[in-house]
Amino acid sequence: MAISIQIDRVSREYGPVKALDDVSLDIKAGEFFTLLGSSGCGKSSLLKLIGGFDRQTSGRVAFDGKDVGDLPANKRPVNTVFQSLALFPHMRVAQNVGYGLRLKGLSGASLDTKINDALDLVELSGFGPRDVNLLSGGQRQRQLARALVMEPGILLLDEPLTGLDERLRQQMRDEFGRLHKRTGATFILVTHNQDEALSLSDRMAVMHKGRIEQVDSPARFFEAPANAFVARFVGIDTLLRPERIVSTGGQTEATVGGQTLQVRTQGTVDTAASIIAIRPDRLFVARQGLPHALTLTVVETTFRGLHRDLKLAFADGQTLVIAIEADTDIGQLSTGQQVPVGLKPDAAVLISSAGLPPAG
Amino acid sequence: MPRLSDLSLTWYAALPNDRALVGALQQSLMIATITAVLATGMSLLAALAYFELRAQRTAWFLTVILPMFVPGVIQGLALSAVFTRSGIKASSLTVIAGHLLWAMPFAFIVILTSFAAVRRSYLTAAADLGATRWRQFVDITLPLIRPGLISAFIFSFLLSLNEFTRAFYLAGRQNTLPVVLFGKMNSGASPVIYAMSGTIFLVSVACVALASMHFMLRLKLSPAGRALR
Repeated sequence: MAISIQIDRVSREYGPVKALDDVSLDIKAGEFFTLLGSSGCGKSSLLKLIGGFDRQTSGRVAFDGKDVGDLPANKRPVNTVFQSLALFPHMRVAQNVGYGLRLKGLSGASLDTKINDALDLVELSGFGPRDVNLLSGGQRQRQLARALVMEPGILLLDEPLTGLDERLRQQMRDEFGRLHKRTGATFILVTHNQDEALSLSDRMAVMHKGRIEQVDSPARFFEAPANAFVARFVGIDTLLRPERIVSTGGQTEATVGGQTLQVRTQGTVDTAASIIAIRPDRLFVARQGLPHALTLTVVETTFRGLHRDLKLAFADGQTLVIAIEADTDIGQLSTGQQVPVGLKPDAAVLISSAGLPPAG
Repeated sequence: MPRLSDLSLTWYAALPNDRALVGALQQSLMIATITAVLATGMSLLAALAYFELRAQRTAWFLTVILPMFVPGVIQGLALSAVFTRSGIKASSLTVIAGHLLWAMPFAFIVILTSFAAVRRSYLTAAADLGATRWRQFVDITLPLIRPGLISAFIFSFLLSLNEFTRAFYLAGRQNTLPVVLFGKMNSGASPVIYAMSGTIFLVSVACVALASMHFMLRLKLSPAGRALR
């Protein structure tokens, strides 16, 4: 039932603007895949190509290995949950949900059963005869019943949770996860919201300026961000420019502001275009005398509610931020004070500096 | 000055026997109906084209409503000259042609306004659910613009029914009602023409009253109407 998708060197150009720039991607059958990126990164353009609402300038889109370039949207085994909702205002809830099935020639009792099953699935049982214009925001959001009832091999979700309040957003998010397990279809979610992407996806792709920066499982984005852009995007804000990088027998050490720290590397290292990403959750304020600790100067502390942000500077002016628990007993910290900072294993990773603005 | 005791239904009773007026009324109703059907259909096609066009929208819009800005006398005279030159005899068809030119811009604008209810996302969603272009039109576009189609039909019907100048130049053997009434007024009017005007007025009022009653009743029965109260 679920269908795999092959995107092979696809570009979509609007005049001089490249919405998609030579994108290749393989999405497995039954996967929950997320396209993540800020607005204008090309994620929606890619979704349109999969849905058949647009044509690529070059490249190939295939379902289960079969080229679907000439297949119009109404013949593809794909259904979409639209950002704009697009419920038909002149039809009742049941008519909206059953529209696709009626086009397929279904009618009578079998049609009613399927509509009711779909409404049960999204917990809108008994809403069939209602006017769609009178549904609440959250109920309208369950328009995905209209797409689900088609039992599509691929379900596209185009920013379906934008504009919902936080509680409803979480509720619908859980629902997507549940429906994915129940239907077993390939789900593709487009979003700019990291939380949605991280909690739902089997794999996700971070896009930027029409290109895919990294495709991985959510956890890998934190363990090994592909470059500085991805690191920033997932919230690893501390990026340090090293003065020197020395590799000796499998161990790599980098020097920042005169102090040396252990860094993890992946693949070959281009020392000229590398930068150190430091995971904020693997830093801690150490006791005096801990080996391998950095000694940094306090710049400022900021109250954040459940935690405090401690901004510390290296000798050369580069800074990093540590989140410390509000009640951590480290005494009074005053600006200019020296603080020892410890790094847990794999706290620092050497990554490509691509996507980082030039040093100013 | 007529007195109150002069009130009578004599001229209403004489109305059915006035062959000229009844014939003119039949002719006018026939022409108005055909004009309304054609104007609504053609305006629908023109509005669909406008909906699909992107860059040349404004040019298309101006082209369709251009006849609205040509004075009726000039349009009637010009059409009459063109028809005579090309050997087409004046008949009901020539009047209908003139009236189409007159009514279509209005019908087009009315239908175009109703297209505001058709969001492109509805059509995309329908395509996503498997609808062909034709099914999208029948299932989505048509029901949403239906009020516009009805208004356009009524509008063009009335515009044609009341039209004088073009019909004056283009009518064949049988004149339309406004032309006949005008002629009778100039040649010493018999009160029958006032009876005719009165009848048309009363019938129009009755039609409007019936239509509003029908819609009020429907609103009362529909769930949307229930929510409004």
